Amino acid sequence: MVDKQIDPSKLLRCPVCEAVNIDREGDVYCHRCQSRIFRNPKLGTSRAWAFLLTALILYIPANLYPILVSERFMAREGNTIIGGIILLWEEGSYPIAMIILVASVLVPILKFIVLLYLLISAHFKKHRYTQVDQHKLHYMTEVIGPWSMVDVFVVAILTGLVHLGSIRVIAGPGATAFVLMVLFTMFAALSIDTRLFKERGSHGRG
Amino acid sequence: MILENSVKERPESEMLDRLIICPKCHTIHEKVAIPKGKSALCDTCKKVLYHYDERVLDHGLALGITGLLLFFVSNLFPLVKVEMLGHEQHVTILSMVFSLFENGFYVVGVTVAFMVFIFPLMILVDYITLSWLMRLKKGKQLTKELLILLSKLLPWNMVEIYLVSILVALVKLIGFMQIHFGLSFWSLVLFVILDTYLSKRIHMGELWELRHRIYTYG
Ligand SMILES: [Zn+2]
Ligand SMILES: [Zn+2]
Repeated sequence: MVDKQIDPSKLLRCPVCEAVNIDREGDVYCHRCQSRIFRNPKLGTSRAWAFLLTALILYIPANLYPILVSERFMAREGNTIIGGIILLWEEGSYPIAMIILVASVLVPILKFIVLLYLLISAHFKKHRYTQVDQHKLHYMTEVIGPWSMVDVFVVAILTGLVHLGSIRVIAGPGATAFVLMVLFTMFAALSIDTRLFKERGSHGRG
Repeated sequence: MILENSVKERPESEMLDRLIICPKCHTIHEKVAIPKGKSALCDTCKKVLYHYDERVLDHGLALGITGLLLFFVSNLFPLVKVEMLGHEQHVTILSMVFSLFENGFYVVGVTVAFMVFIFPLMILVDYITLSWLMRLKKGKQLTKELLILLSKLLPWNMVEIYLVSILVALVKLIGFMQIHFGLSFWSLVLFVILDTYLSKRIHMGELWELRHRIYTYG
């Protein structure tokens, strides 16, 4: 139909409208939704690094400070994320302990590892995994990421629900750090430029 | 720059629109015609690429309005009520957010409010307006803005995670207090089922193609 050949390695997916676009030098505007879909990939990478490092730093207070504070008859008791999981385990609530362990501890750590791996391997232009696997890893971080909010929602519900007479449950400072950590990790995943996963040589820059 | 080139580039964009890139593994596929009611899958990772639903706007509108009704019911009545030693307390989505504010947890409160109240509501209103305008073949520019907004809102909707969190929170309370589920809880369950179904059905690419067909060929 059109005799001009399209180079498949130069095709990009618009993250806004899913249209296929051709990668050009400099800023790329989508031909269907006109959004500026990609800028200089270096800018995207440094933004992703900044968000990820902020998230990593926030992960420390998120785990050191209590995420939940319970008051029973004037006695105050704070629970960190790990402390809460251990308590649930000792009480015999194994499934709930597992859910919180996966959502609040394993998911954030897995996301950190995947994002660090993707950013570092893009930096060195050495790919141990194929392009398809890197895209799948990136997609996975976007799918599982939001599940780390479970513990924050639990804390929010308990804060709203449990103030009966002399018993009260409220959020702790760890909850604020944890929420910010989740937000910054999501920003980092969203600002990774998927053009970085292409093999060396398919781009003149990067 | 875009506008100047649009006439010249039309054949190229038509050629590009016959292709689709898998959202999960980024394999490039050529679109093929599929039978009514079927879905096209990526042959590398088996992710659904698109459906064929000729009444997508009618279905979308009906589901969207049902979703909006369920969303209102979910917010009007208590989700859960607990009882202990004669004391009683209930919680709604909004009272939960206000409790966080009262205790000084503004960051947590605002984030939770956006993820389980503001964004889900915006998505529903956006989707209903969009389906309605496209059915009437009106508002070419507005539908474009609504589609762009919709794709930016979708990753931040966390109602289904919130529902799981309610159950986790209640398990923590079993043994200490009596728990009663409110009308809003059951309405939220239905809302989450519908919302999950809707977000599986919404393929942004399909809506854009539909928009292109509607406003180009009438
Ligand atoms: Zn686009
Ligand atoms: Zn695929």
